[in-house]
Amino acid sequence: MRKGIWQEFDGYQDIVEEIKVSRKLGGTVSSAMVSAEEYIRQLHPDRLELCVSDIITETPSTKTLRLVSKDNYLPPFMAGQYIALYLEIAGIRTSRPYSISSQPNQVGYYDITVRRVENGLVSNYLLDVVKRGDTLISSGPAGNFYFNPLLHKKTMVCIAGGSGITPFMSMIREIIECALDRLVYLFYGNQTIDDVIFGAELNRISKRFDHIHYIPVIEEPSRKYEGACGFISRDVMREVLENIEDKSFFICGPQGLYDFCLPQIQEMGVPGRKIKQEMYGAPPNIWQYPGWPHEVHQDDVFTVNIKNGKQLTAKAGEPLLVALEKNGVVVPSLCRSGDCSMCRLKILSGKVFQPAGVPVRKSDKKYGYVHSCVSYPLENLEILIQ
Amino acid sequence: MNAFDVVVIGAGNGGLTAAAKLAQKGLNVLLLERHNVPGGCATSFCRGRFEFEVALHQLSGLGTAEKPGLLRMELEQLGVLQDLEFVEISDLYHVAASDGFRITLKTDRAETIAVLQDKFPHQKDAIQRYFDLMARYANDMISTFIFRDPEASRDKYPCLYKYALQNSKAILDEFFSDPLLKTILSLYSGYLGVPPTRLAFAYLAMLFFQYMEFKPYHLKGGSQALSNAILNKFLSDGGTARFNCGAKKIIVDKGQINAVVTDDDDEITTNYIVSNVSPVATYNHLIDPAQVPAATSVEIKGRNLSTSAFTLFIGFDCEPDQLDITETTNFLISTTDISDGIRDRMNRPDIQDDFMLLSCYDISDPEFSPPGTCQANVVTLKYGEPWLRIPPRRYHDVKFRCAESMLKRVEEIYPRVRDHIEEIEVATPLTHMRSLGHPFGAIYGYETLTKDSLFFQPGRYSPIQGLFFAGGWTGDQGFEPTLRSGISAAKSIIRRLGAE
Ligand SMILES: Cc1cc2nc3c(=O)[nH]c(=O)nc-3n(C[C@H](O)[C@H](O)[C@H](O)COP(=O)(O)OP(=O)(O)OC[C@H]3O[C@@H](n4cnc5c(N)ncnc54)[C@H](O)[C@@H]3O)c2cc1C
Ligand SMILES: Cc1cc2nc3c(=O)[nH]c(=O)nc-3n(C[C@H](O)[C@H](O)[C@H](O)COP(=O)(O)OP(=O)(O)OC[C@H]3O[C@@H](n4cnc5c(N)ncnc54)[C@H](O)[C@@H]3O)c2cc1C
Ligand code: FES
Repeated sequence: MRKGIWQEFDGYQDIVEEIKVSRKLGGTVSSAMVSAEEYIRQLHPDRLELCVSDIITETPSTKTLRLVSKDNYLPPFMAGQYIALYLEIAGIRTSRPYSISSQPNQVGYYDITVRRVENGLVSNYLLDVVKRGDTLISSGPAGNFYFNPLLHKKTMVCIAGGSGITPFMSMIREIIECALDRLVYLFYGNQTIDDVIFGAELNRISKRFDHIHYIPVIEEPSRKYEGACGFISRDVMREVLENIEDKSFFICGPQGLYDFCLPQIQEMGVPGRKIKQEMYGAPPNIWQYPGWPHEVHQDDVFTVNIKNGKQLTAKAGEPLLVALEKNGVVVPSLCRSGDCSMCRLKILSGKVFQPAGVPVRKSDKKYGYVHSCVSYPLENLEILIQ
Repeated sequence: MNAFDVVVIGAGNGGLTAAAKLAQKGLNVLLLERHNVPGGCATSFCRGRFEFEVALHQLSGLGTAEKPGLLRMELEQLGVLQDLEFVEISDLYHVAASDGFRITLKTDRAETIAVLQDKFPHQKDAIQRYFDLMARYANDMISTFIFRDPEASRDKYPCLYKYALQNSKAILDEFFSDPLLKTILSLYSGYLGVPPTRLAFAYLAMLFFQYMEFKPYHLKGGSQALSNAILNKFLSDGGTARFNCGAKKIIVDKGQINAVVTDDDDEITTNYIVSNVSPVATYNHLIDPAQVPAATSVEIKGRNLSTSAFTLFIGFDCEPDQLDITETTNFLISTTDISDGIRDRMNRPDIQDDFMLLSCYDISDPEFSPPGTCQANVVTLKYGEPWLRIPPRRYHDVKFRCAESMLKRVEEIYPRVRDHIEEIEVATPLTHMRSLGHPFGAIYGYETLTKDSLFFQPGRYSPIQGLFFAGGWTGDQGFEPTLRSGISAAKSIIRRLGAE
C-alpha cells in the first residue's frame, strides 16, 4: 500500500478540518469522562454494607432481619428478587441467598425473613448469633423471579411452601400499597399452622382487599382447623380457581413443593411458559436424584486437586462449592442453585454429578465447565479455578 | 512468579485473540478479565431452557475452506478452527415493513439484483449500476489495501478516490429516488452504528460486498463457543488467565510500561500490555494522567462514542414457522427516514420508529434452541448517555416500557409471538455499561464517523512504550475486525520482542 494514499481521496481536506474542530470542541467522549460508574453502582452495586436495624420474630423458627444501608442508600429492586449474604462463620467464608420480603416501593430498608434449617450453617447463625446493630455484607438485588409485565398475566396464581413465602410477601405488599392492577391467588403450604409465616398479615390483607385471595394449606392440621388440608393439589387449586385461562403461575419453596405441585399444575393443563419457578438452593439428598450413579455412596470421599493450588477432600453427597469453602477456597457465588453461573469452574479431570436441567452454556459443557454449587464429585478431581 | 512477558487486560474478542496469539508464540502471558466468563460482548447467558446469544448476528470474513476469508485464515493459524462449527446463513437479510412490504436479499449478487429489480422496476438501471459500483469499489479497495498496490493512483482506482470518504446517503441519493429502496440498501449501516448520513461509503460498500462474497455465518453454540475455544487454546499453550479479576492500575515509568496492578492488589511486572479496555478508560482510569502525553488526551477528547444497544432476548415455546418467522436475519422497519432523524431516535430512551434487527438463529441451525422451541434476538441501537439521566428508581419502568414498545413492533410483523413467549430478558445501554465497562456502554468503540475511521486515528498504537490496544476501540467494529485486531496487536509485540 502506498503510504497515506487516502490523503488524495476526495473530501480528505474536509475531514482534516472536522478533526481539528472536534479536537477543539470535544466529541461526546469528553462528556463521558464523568464516569457512569457511580450511576451503575446505584443500580447494581457489587457489595452492600448493611446494618441489622431490627429483628422481628415471626414464628418459633423464623425471624425477619430488617437491614438498613450503612451509607443510607439501597438500590431499587423488583419484588421477588433476592440478595446474597456474604459471611464468615466458624472460619468458613460462604454466601446464602435470601429473598427480600419487604416491598420495593420503599428502600429505606430491606427485610429478609429467615427460617431455621436443621443443622444449617447460616440460618442458625442468622437466627441465634446475629443481633441488632450487627453489620452484614450482601450482593445487590438479583434473580429473575419477578412479575414481568411483558409476559405475565395480571392474574397471578402464587404457590408457596414454608419460607418460600418471602418473595410473594414482597409482591403482595407492593400490589396493595401501590394499588397495582393485579389479582392474586396465594396458596401457601406449611406442615403445621404454627409454621405459617406472615399468617396474620395475610389474613388481614385478604379480608380487606378483594383482589388478594389467601388460601393456607396445612399438611398436619390440628382438630379445629377448618381450612384446606394436605398438600397444594390440583383439587385444592380447582376449588378456588374457576379456570386456568389468562393466569400466570408462580411457585417458590423447597424441592418437595416442586416435586409435588409442578405435576399438579401441569395436569390442570397449564403450559410450561405460564409457570415461573424460583430456585431454592441445591437439591437435598442428591444421591436420590435421577441419574445418580448407584455405585457411589453419598459419604464416599474423593480428593480434589486445584491446579496451582491446594489439595482437599470432598464428599460425594456435598456440593463441590461447599467442600471448597470448608477448605478456605472462596469461589464467587450468588444463587447457589445452579442458575446464575457465578460459581463456574473447570473440571480438568474426573467426573462430577450435575443434575439434568442445570442451565450450563453449551460450549461451557464442551470445555468441562460446571456450576460448582450443584456439582458433586463422583471421582477424584483436578479442577481449574481461574 | 509475578512477572509476565505480556499482560492482556480484558477477554473480549480482541483480548482473547491477542492472548492466544502471544501464547502460541511461546510468550509468557497473563490474561485478566473482570467477569467470570470470557468473551465480553461475545458471550451468552441462560434463562430456563434457553441459552441466549448476546451479540453475534452475522459473522463476516469467514468464507469457505476453498475460498477462505481473512478471518478463517487467522483462526486457522491460531489453531482454533477445528474446534468450531460454522453455520452458513443463506440470505443477507429479510426486510419487513409495518405496512406489509416484504423482501429478502440473497447472498448471491445476481439474485439480489433480480429481487430488487422485481420490487422496484422503476429503478431497474440504477440498481444494476449501484451494484456495479459496489463491486468496482471493493476491487479498488482490495487492490490498494489488501494487495497493497505500490502504484495506486486516481487513474487506476477512480472509484476508490471518488467515493471512499463520501457519506453513504449522498451516494444512495445520487443513484436512487425511491425512499424505500434507499432504506433497504442502507440497513447494514446499523451494523456499524452510524446513520447513512455520517457513514463513509467505504464501510457500507465493503460490508455489503463482504457478506455477498464470503457469506454471513453463525456458529454452533453461539459466540460463547468462539470465546471458549480461543481461551482453551490460550490455556493449552501455557497461558495464565485470571477471571473475576480486573486490572486496576497500569504503572508507567518514563514513558514505558512497567507493571499492572490487579483488583486484588497484586502487582505484576511486565513491559508489554495489550489493552482490550477502551482507551478512554485506559488513559483516564488505569494510567496516571501525568504519564499520558497531552496530544493523546486531546485526541481522545475529540472523539465520539459509538452507540450502545437495546436488546430483547425472547425464548418461544414453539418452532419459528408457528410464528411465521422464515428468515434468520430480519430488519423491521416502520419508516423510510434515513436522514439524521435516525440519530435523534437513537438518542431517545424510548422506542418508536427505530430500525430493529430480529435474528432467529434457529432458522439456519435447528439445534440452536431445545427441540420444539426457538429464540429471537431483537436489537436496536441506542446511545447510552440519555439513559444516565433516568433516576435509578425509574430505571425498571423505562426498561419495560421500551421493551413493550419493541414487542409491539415485533407483533406488527409476527402477530403470534406474544402467545408463545416462555422467557424474555431485556438488555439496555446500562446493561452494556455494566457488563463491558465501556463509557456510555458503547458496543462499537468510537463511533465510525469518517473522521474517526482508521485512516485518521492511531488505531492500536500508543505513545506509551509497550502499550497496544485491541478490540472495537482500535478501528473497525464487530466480530471480524475485533478478532483480527487482537492478532495485529500480538504481532506488533512479537515483532518487537523478536519472538517470531
Ligand atoms: C433464591 C433463593 C431465595 C431464598 N430465600 C430464602 C428466604 O427468603 N428465607 C429463607 O429462610 N431461606 C431462603 N433461601 C434458602 C437459604 O438461602 C438457605 O439455603 C437456607 O437458609 C439454609 O442455609 P443454611 O446455611 O442454614 O443451611 P446449609 O448449611 O446450607 O444446609 C442446608 C441443608 O443441607 C444440609 N447439609 C449441610 N451440610 C451438609 C453436608 N455436608 N452434607 C449433606 N447435607 C448437608 C443441612 O443439614 C441442611 O438440611 C433461599 C434460597 C434461594 C436459592
Ligand atoms: C447487542 C450487541 C449486538 C452486536 N451485534 C453484532 C453483530 O451482529 N455483528 C458484529 O460483528 N458485531 C456485533 N456486535 C459488536 C461486537 O460484539 C463487538 O464489536 C466485539 O465483540 C467487541 O470486542 P472487543 O474486543 O472490543 O471486546 P469487548 O467485547 O468490548 O470486551 C472488553 C472486555 O474487557 C473487560 N474489561 C473491561 N475493563 C476491564 C478491566 N479494568 N480489567 C479487566 N477486564 C476489563 C470487559 O469485562 C470485557 O470482557 C454487537 C454487540 C452487542 C453488545
Ligand atoms: S452460585 Fe449461581 S450457579 Fe452456582
